[in-house]
Amino acid sequence: MIIAAALCPSPPLLMPGLTGAASVLPELRRACEQAVTELVAADPDVVAVVGPGEQTMIWDAAARLDLAAFAPGIGVAVLPMGDALPTGGHLRAPDGTEPTAVHPGSGLPVSLGIGAWLLDQAGHAGELLLQSVASHESAERCARLGADLATAAIRTGLLVLADGSACRNPKAPGYFDERSAGFDAEVERTVRAGDLGALLDIDAELAGDLMATGRPAWQVLAGALTGERLTTEIRYCDDPFGVAYLVASLRVEPLTAPPAKG
Amino acid sequence: MRPKQTTPEQTTLRLRGHSFAPERLLVMAIVNRTPDSFFDAGRTWDEPAAMERVHQVIADGADIVDIGGVPAAPGQQVDVTEEIRRTAPFIAAVRGAYPDVAISVDTWRHEVAAQACAAGADLINDSWGGQDAKLPAVIAEYGAGLVCAHVGAQQPRTRPFRVSYSDVVADVLEETQRLATRAVEAGVDPAGIVIDAAHDFGKNTWHSLEVTRRLGEMTGSGWPVLVSVSRKDFIGETLDLPLQDRLAGTLAATSVCAWLGGRIFRAHDVAQTRQVLDMVAAIKGDKPPARTVRGLV
Repeated sequence: MIIAAALCPSPPLLMPGLTGAASVLPELRRACEQAVTELVAADPDVVAVVGPGEQTMIWDAAARLDLAAFAPGIGVAVLPMGDALPTGGHLRAPDGTEPTAVHPGSGLPVSLGIGAWLLDQAGHAGELLLQSVASHESAERCARLGADLATAAIRTGLLVLADGSACRNPKAPGYFDERSAGFDAEVERTVRAGDLGALLDIDAELAGDLMATGRPAWQVLAGALTGERLTTEIRYCDDPFGVAYLVASLRVEPLTAPPAKG
Repeated sequence: MRPKQTTPEQTTLRLRGHSFAPERLLVMAIVNRTPDSFFDAGRTWDEPAAMERVHQVIADGADIVDIGGVPAAPGQQVDVTEEIRRTAPFIAAVRGAYPDVAISVDTWRHEVAAQACAAGADLINDSWGGQDAKLPAVIAEYGAGLVCAHVGAQQPRTRPFRVSYSDVVADVLEETQRLATRAVEAGVDPAGIVIDAAHDFGKNTWHSLEVTRRLGEMTGSGWPVLVSVSRKDFIGETLDLPLQDRLAGTLAATSVCAWLGGRIFRAHDVAQTRQVLDMVAAIKGDKPPARTVRGLV
């Protein structure tokens, strides 16, 4: 069963170093770190990371984001896991952290790459399941996938990477679409209320129009937590670059005593 | 993968108490204590105006301030006493105001260098190419740095007249290496030695274009290379433009020299030069862009 869940967006700018010398949206990164830290602190046996990708598939748990795909020349070579990265140059992020090594030939979707990085940062050393979900999947398929993930272990933590519309204003990646504010507000309301079933009603075509890439991942979340009583904490909700970012912690209220750690 | 470097390994530059990492491109701001230098024509002849320029160039991103008391062109005689009077007290004032900024003095005379170093100078910009054989020992005594410049057969404050070279770059490499070796033998800190092709000095425009084109051969020597092209005649002749219209040409030459591995850029236009160097450093992959969000949100 799912013992706790976290919801984060997945803009590449969360990754250290990608924004150059400047620290951009440190408050968003902090909110994500807090949500994922809380998830890890719940001590799950497995953390399932779910995010949009081109295909619905499970990735090698050792795969990590290839930063060079977003920032060629940033200095991240493809290295066997565990090898030290070269230091110096501008490889360090402004906060002094080193970028994550790349698993050879990963091609991991950015959503899962950011999720895995957040878990690494939070010190998660346990089992990891990296699940991408394609944008063409129906709500029903997504919900079933979520239900399956909930059974991955007796104590499963769920990290969902999902972004809202990218059409919040004329400077947004998808320009302005007047439907975007209402769309994102409804997602926020649903999460805030713990009324996740409503996420299954999201219009996939509208989500596509609004470049809301998180649609299938939200629906996996809904399927995974069907029937659970939730309390949620919204940690961040804003659209600083015209893309709606929502960070939340979702706590599952135990009906009885929680299952013992297996 | 890290982009392929266009230059060989460079080392840390050390100018008395100031150290500069290899990947850092430095702006050396020109501050003339002269009534008659070619570009500023006496604008910083008065000390308050000169100090005002120092404040400005440091705010604009200068790493080194290069103070000169004698114009390069022929003209009114400036003897040792007068050159010291123009430079040394001002160097002391700049040193007092900016302990962390490296100070250079543009002189070929060892007596001036000694007084300048005593006042706090960190680097002697011997832009007339080793005319005074006593200079290296003075620099060694103070632990300062030295610019070893190529001027061909020219004497200080003269203009090139029908100069020719079988290979100007080979001559530059040989002469700057000779001056650097002489300095090291006199006890100058090797980490403080810089070489300079000295564009326009002992060169016609064709020669200056050639040393610009082949600057990589100088940076390939391993010595840090000073690039001094600001507003010079080779730019004016190349573009057929007067002094006041040579900024774009200066920045183009600066950009090429930075790409080819130049380390120090002597400049009148400090803010613009700083921008060019930061841009080239980012293209080379030596410096991160300031703030990147395009396509990453």
